[in-house]
Amino acid sequence: MDTGATTEIEVAQLLINTLHLDQSPGEIQPDEPLFGDGLGLDSIDALEIALAISKVYGFALKSDEGRAHQVFASLRNLTRYIDAHRIR
Amino acid sequence: MFRLSGGTIKAGTFLGNAQDVAGALSPGSFVLNLCRDRLLFALALAAAMLRGQVTLLSSDRSPEWLATLSESYPGLYAVADYPAPPAQPFSWHLLDKGSIRLTGQRVAIPNIPAAQLACIVFTSGTTGQPLAHRKPWGGLVERSIDAAVWLELASDRTTSVVGMVPPHHMYGLETTVLLPLHAPAATWCGPAFYPQDVVAALRSVPAPRVLVTTPLQIRTLLHASIDLPPIDRIVSATAPLFPEMAQAAEERWKTRVVEIFGATEVGSIAGRRTTADDVWTTYPRVRLQQANPEGETLVVGPHAAAYPLSDIVELLDDRQFRLVGRRPDVVKLGGRRASLAELNRILAGLDGVIDGQFVAPDDLDRQPAARLLVFVVAPERSAEDLLAELRHRIDPLFLPRRIFKVDTLPRNDVGKLTHQALNTLRARTSEA
Repeated sequence: MDTGATTEIEVAQLLINTLHLDQSPGEIQPDEPLFGDGLGLDSIDALEIALAISKVYGFALKSDEGRAHQVFASLRNLTRYIDAHRIR
Repeated sequence: MFRLSGGTIKAGTFLGNAQDVAGALSPGSFVLNLCRDRLLFALALAAAMLRGQVTLLSSDRSPEWLATLSESYPGLYAVADYPAPPAQPFSWHLLDKGSIRLTGQRVAIPNIPAAQLACIVFTSGTTGQPLAHRKPWGGLVERSIDAAVWLELASDRTTSVVGMVPPHHMYGLETTVLLPLHAPAATWCGPAFYPQDVVAALRSVPAPRVLVTTPLQIRTLLHASIDLPPIDRIVSATAPLFPEMAQAAEERWKTRVVEIFGATEVGSIAGRRTTADDVWTTYPRVRLQQANPEGETLVVGPHAAAYPLSDIVELLDDRQFRLVGRRPDVVKLGGRRASLAELNRILAGLDGVIDGQFVAPDDLDRQPAARLLVFVVAPERSAEDLLAELRHRIDPLFLPRRIFKVDTLPRNDVGKLTHQALNTLRARTSEA
């Protein structure tokens, strides 16, 4: 099992697979917002991503007041968050 | 009643807080309630009514639409629990959760006239601009009382309501804000977005518990393999719930899954137990009438003007019906409706767009990741460029996930794109 550092490319691939995005992992800019202006994701997408994360990385996201927005702010933030919380 | 992790806010305290908020609100006739926190949302709504101001509720927060609202409702200001993003067309009143008192301040229940306009809720019109639906207070109150009867809420105990749906959506407004004001129910005002939030919320509130949710969220909860504390009822709305999923939820959590049928323009009007029946039964005092032989069904209820349903139904009697379908132009995503005609008009209005069409995939109802597609004839524009422009004009949920540039759209002699022609177009793109 891969327990090395989580990479942005692997998280980008997870987003693409989960949401059927028409992009390649390298096209998602690490600092671009995932919601709104960047990828334009919405709250339904957030739930789907959370579910995919729990399946792959073994931990469940929670809305610690205010933090949810930060976690999904960009691919880089999401990757860091996963890396800090993953249990597999 | 309203529940927070720090305590419970009872009616008198709620009203006391609402009076404080009312005193601090800006003058004006219309207020756009953008609060994300359920308690602050409810306080802002109550405060506006105490001030005789009408609350506007809109899911669409696109800059273009907010600018339109600001022009249509002179003196409009926003009340929100987050700082104003740059370049707002109106003034911004910020509410702070820290200033809410959890106890004391018992205030008498105010007498709000039944005819007082409480809210204006917007839906996507089928022929252009969004439509404004006026909600007098009396109609909302009567419907809440009906909902409590239909949900069989205990009269001698307080039912805990945990809602996963936002309060500015008609379904969330009725079930999680209005119901606790008029029935023995207490609504959870903490986070309830991710499955883990819902587990924590349900654990922190006393039984009997009701979970207010949607088919997509039930699906997520089922997939998340979590254990929930005993729930009396799971209430689902915004999209059809498949009986197999209702069955799975009932078995998994030893509960009853009921569905509410409603629409922004008429509110919640009927319900059914999904595993038992495909027939919907109206709330106790709601009646249905066939308006004309081939056409619309009118909804009639106390203190609510008769209004036609936008769905096509087969009436069995004046309280029972089967859902036949939606009108072909309407697409529904995340509980919000949009008209394809309206989206197409917006698309056609972009510079350099010669022709274009929004298309709904066939699995839109079943597949959470499914979104609209666009076929466009715009030789001078790039897909990214068009998407960026659409972002300012339409609700993010209805943004196309893919934009296909084509040389021409296969329109027939009368300029229509038939279902078959669109299917051919779609098939070609999936091969590519």
